[in-house]
Amino acid sequence: MSNNSQKTILIVEDDDSFRDIMVRALESKKFKTLQAVNGKEGVEKALSDHPDLIIFDLLMPVMGGMDAFKKVREDAWGKNAAVIILTNQNATSEMLIQDIVTYKPFHYLVKSNERIYDVVKKIEDILANESNKQ
Amino acid sequence: MKKVITTFPAMALGMFISFFMGTGVYHIVLADQAASLTNVQNNAQPAAVQDTQSAATQVTQNAQVDTSNAGVTVKVAPGELLPVSIKLLNFGGGKKVDVSITYSIINSRGDEIYSTSDTVAVETTASFVKTIQIPFGTPPGNYRAKASITYQDQVVPATTEFPFIVENKIIGLFQSDFYLYGGITALVSICMVFLGSFIVRRQKASRLTPFDYSTVPYEQRIYFEMVSDTIMQMRLRVGDTALEIASHIDGLQIDQKTGKVLNISENPSKIIATLVSRYDKVLGEKVNFSFRPPAPPSANQPPSKT
Repeated sequence: MSNNSQKTILIVEDDDSFRDIMVRALESKKFKTLQAVNGKEGVEKALSDHPDLIIFDLLMPVMGGMDAFKKVREDAWGKNAAVIILTNQNATSEMLIQDIVTYKPFHYLVKSNERIYDVVKKIEDILANESNKQ
Repeated sequence: MKKVITTFPAMALGMFISFFMGTGVYHIVLADQAASLTNVQNNAQPAAVQDTQSAATQVTQNAQVDTSNAGVTVKVAPGELLPVSIKLLNFGGGKKVDVSITYSIINSRGDEIYSTSDTVAVETTASFVKTIQIPFGTPPGNYRAKASITYQDQVVPATTEFPFIVENKIIGLFQSDFYLYGGITALVSICMVFLGSFIVRRQKASRLTPFDYSTVPYEQRIYFEMVSDTIMQMRLRVGDTALEIASHIDGLQIDQKTGKVLNISENPSKIIATLVSRYDKVLGEKVNFSFRPPAPPSANQPPSKT
């Protein structure tokens, strides 16, 4: 994608190795990346830097991904922010389903179902569509 | 029926030789040395009819020759046996005559590549089958099998022949048959592959096409779509087992054939969570969800899901 270099992706993920893999995959596509190791840091960086897309893991220390996601949605900028949830957690709880329906991420992806480059492709598609809207 | 009007001398001899090649029958009015044939009606194609100088009584002879399989092309491989059925008729006039039959195989250039001969004593009629082995190493091509007879006091030489083809074999099939059947098999296989691929693509496409739930009230629609997409996603991965599992979820009613959600009668979040949990437990499969971006708030025109 020609204008990926102008797009910033925030990766909120406590697993260092997985986060590194995501960063490398995104940077290989010329995206700029921001990183946060828990939900709290993720919310702070999201609201200060206004990334073009946020990737949230769910199970993290300090603040979980869903709580962080809710905080972002409460913000005026964040209520329409592009978000992907990328987690190991299968959506088997009624509460989680309700949150997904309420806060509407672009994708709720289970890590074991996805290849990294499929995730990157989804990110490119989302940002391309967003660009077309503008 | 073929009628042969012959003029016989005192000892009239009518001679017919038929060649039977496998199931094919080759009809040959071979020769009639002592007899003189003055007219042949409905001339049999391989007939070699020789005229004689004798003046004799004219006899109408019903020489009936079956020509039902005369067009069969005979094929034989090098080293195989070529069966030739011989029938001698109207011979001898009451006394035995020694008849020498010479068999030969002639290639398309007219060269004789094989020859053998037998002598048989014929009183009036004789029939037998002679097998000729095609020499090993005979090059493929068109050949003729030729038979000629000679006997005492013969006036005119009599010969007859029929064509046959020598062809190599591959895995027990003649080369041309092998290529023909192989070609047909390959063609059918290719068609089957394309047909199978087409059917699979069509099935996949039909399973990937989201159902329209626009008639479902907005508050419920997103749950219908999530359940529907979850079933569709699982059906693509594991087949119709996904439908069976979904059909046993309490409060969820689906079309058993298509997986379309017909009704959700209990807490939809609970039903989705139960469905996801059941797929995880039974199939070990985890479920993704995808949505469109949050649309601007509008009570009348709610966002729809991809």
